[in-house]
Amino acid sequence: MAKPEEKTILIVDDEEDVRDYLSTVLEDAGYNVVTAVDGNDAIEKLKQKVPDFISLDLVMPGKSGIKFLYEMRHNPDWAGIPFVIVTAHAHDDLGKEDLDDILSGKTFSGPSVYLEKPVKPEQYVKFISERLGVDIESEEGGQDEAELRDQLEQMLRGADSDALEKAIRALKNKK
Amino acid sequence: MDLKKGDIPAEVRSWMGKQLFEQVPNNIVVIDRDFKVVIANDNFKTVFGDPDGRYCFEVYKGRKSVCEKCMAARTFEDGKVRVTDEVGIDKSGKPAHYVVHNAPVFNVSGEVAYVIEMSYDVTETRSLQKEYNILFERVPCYVSVINRDLKIVRANELLRRTFGETTGEYCYEVYKDRTERCTDCPAMKTFADGRSYSSRHTGVNKNGETTHYVVSTAPLSRSGGEFSHVIEMSVDVTDVHRLSEELEKEERFRRILIDNTLDALIAVDETGKVNIFNHAAERLFKVSRDDVIGKSRGRRFAPREFLDAMGEGGSSLSLPETTIKDSEGETIPVRFTGAVLRDRDAVIGGAAFFQDLRQIKQLEKDKLDNERLAAVGQTVAQLAHGIKNILTGLQGGMYVIKSGQKSGSTEKTEKGWKMLDRNVERITDLVKGFLSFSKGHTPEVQSVDPVSIASEVFNLYQDAAAQQNVTLRFQAQDDIADAYMDSEDIHTCLANLISNAIDACQTSESDSCTVTLSVQERDGTIIYEVVDTGCGMEYDIKNKVFTTFFTTKGLGGTGLGLMVTRKIVQEHGGRITVDSVPGEGSSFRIEFKRERLPQPEGQQKGEG
Repeated sequence: MAKPEEKTILIVDDEEDVRDYLSTVLEDAGYNVVTAVDGNDAIEKLKQKVPDFISLDLVMPGKSGIKFLYEMRHNPDWAGIPFVIVTAHAHDDLGKEDLDDILSGKTFSGPSVYLEKPVKPEQYVKFISERLGVDIESEEGGQDEAELRDQLEQMLRGADSDALEKAIRALKNKK
Repeated sequence: MDLKKGDIPAEVRSWMGKQLFEQVPNNIVVIDRDFKVVIANDNFKTVFGDPDGRYCFEVYKGRKSVCEKCMAARTFEDGKVRVTDEVGIDKSGKPAHYVVHNAPVFNVSGEVAYVIEMSYDVTETRSLQKEYNILFERVPCYVSVINRDLKIVRANELLRRTFGETTGEYCYEVYKDRTERCTDCPAMKTFADGRSYSSRHTGVNKNGETTHYVVSTAPLSRSGGEFSHVIEMSVDVTDVHRLSEELEKEERFRRILIDNTLDALIAVDETGKVNIFNHAAERLFKVSRDDVIGKSRGRRFAPREFLDAMGEGGSSLSLPETTIKDSEGETIPVRFTGAVLRDRDAVIGGAAFFQDLRQIKQLEKDKLDNERLAAVGQTVAQLAHGIKNILTGLQGGMYVIKSGQKSGSTEKTEKGWKMLDRNVERITDLVKGFLSFSKGHTPEVQSVDPVSIASEVFNLYQDAAAQQNVTLRFQAQDDIADAYMDSEDIHTCLANLISNAIDACQTSESDSCTVTLSVQERDGTIIYEVVDTGCGMEYDIKNKVFTTFFTTKGLGGTGLGLMVTRKIVQEHGGRITVDSVPGEGSSFRIEFKRERLPQPEGQQKGEG
């Protein structure tokens, strides 16, 4: 198992508060953190050092998240960097279209998941650590029920409704 | 007293014979067997001169020998009376047409000793006959003489030319291609009572096409009451008929058009008498057409402006929006078009069109209301997102404080407090801005000069622009009339746009940027424009600029500016658009259609 000290995470967000918050969360978990204020800045940061993971905001002035992803995927050195989208606009006019494009695989193939702001610290760390294969010692010693419920809720919110219907039907049939 | 032949003494009879000889209106000459004139009456002498001792052929025809087919010679031979047409010359040498009677005078031995030639001049009659014949043949209608069987006995030239040889055919065969007589036959009527008749008939021409005739019949009287023929004259009026039918059709079409148009239409003749008042006009004015048609009440329907303009010699006037009063005194908004109708210089009447604007007005109001409602809906949704962002900041701040406390880092704890402070500040700003935004006030409009508002804003920002090294320009069209606007609101809009433009210039890489504020009017639309040569916007940013709380200024802006601007513009019935090229600049354009601008309080009904 890799250690968080060995991993560098790039946080891209135009809001200073969000950058400060997320970087504090990750630093507390032991990760190295680099921040960028928009897509353009993020490209600059990639040029300096390729991170192990990217936490990406979608709606940003200058270069938006989706534009950054396009550019990233066109560079073979960067194309394989895993990322998570952290957005407040998953369901509104500002970000829905971009996000749907990403999720439907029209723009990017492969598993991609997004987290919706506001993000819970533990959930954020756990998500990234799993993707990176990093073992994090949970300070609280395991997830409590409320946390699990949150997680489920989060997943349901991101799930596509057709799949959900199928799942429900399958469950009913089992009875 | 009865006078019998035997009663008359011989000398009286001789006198009477002499008198008769002289008084009959004929030329009488008696010739002997040598064709020498024995005696002639005065009439004869008047025409041919004194024939005493001359030959008749000399006298009549100026010949030197006996005529080839001398009728007198034959009468000398067989003693029969003969009547012939003769052409001779009178004493002045002019040709003359005569009817000549040759009668024998027998002597005691029963031989024809003399021949009496009695002639009368028919020159006049003959030329009349000729003229009548020409008339009969050449008159531009079909003329036929028909007998009691309705068979054509004689046909004139036009009839022959059109229908060919028709003599002996039934007239109904010829004119109508029928096999039996017509029920309304005018010739039959004439035959019945001897009077003339005239009526319209429909038949077919030789090509089988429907043809319309006006037929006149008259008895062809030979001698008094008895007549055996009727003269029938038919004029082909198909063209006239077609024209009048077309006219009728045109008239019907016009009537349908006038009655079914949604616009009220009123027309008057030169005296102001109403001659057209359609259904829509009845509905609009709540007046029955029967009460106005044919009456001199045209003027009461025309708007005052129109009457004034006509009084000043105008010929037409269009009023996009004016009002009329119906018979119940209700004021109705209408679009009006009126014209004085002239034939060259003479006024022949006037026409006026009214389009009822009530429904359109209502629709416009509904649309504006809907737009406002939609704006409110958007605002609520966007407010939720704005709060979500701040929530993230608050949550983040709390986490950072907690993290700082846990690790004993004062630096971190302070950072967290700052985050909390900032976001509390943001909430305060947001609430303030939102309150002012959502006051939901109707613009307090007054008649203001659209240019002076712009120039105030321009003056206000000159210093700020100069400090940022931005050139601020102002362009204004100088003939823009006052308009109903809330000057404070418009001021806010323009100030927002200019402040944004100056910011865009600061972000730009170029160091000589220009911001131009302009105001102009095009086709009843007042247009404000703010154009900068600043950083411009990416397509996706451009699409989001009017959305609440969207800011590219980090924590420097609430994101309310352009949203407030848009709200104000919408409340004024206007629209705002943006055009931008990244790196080259942006241009914001606000358009206010005059007719959509709000009406000042008091003029607006039913607005709470």
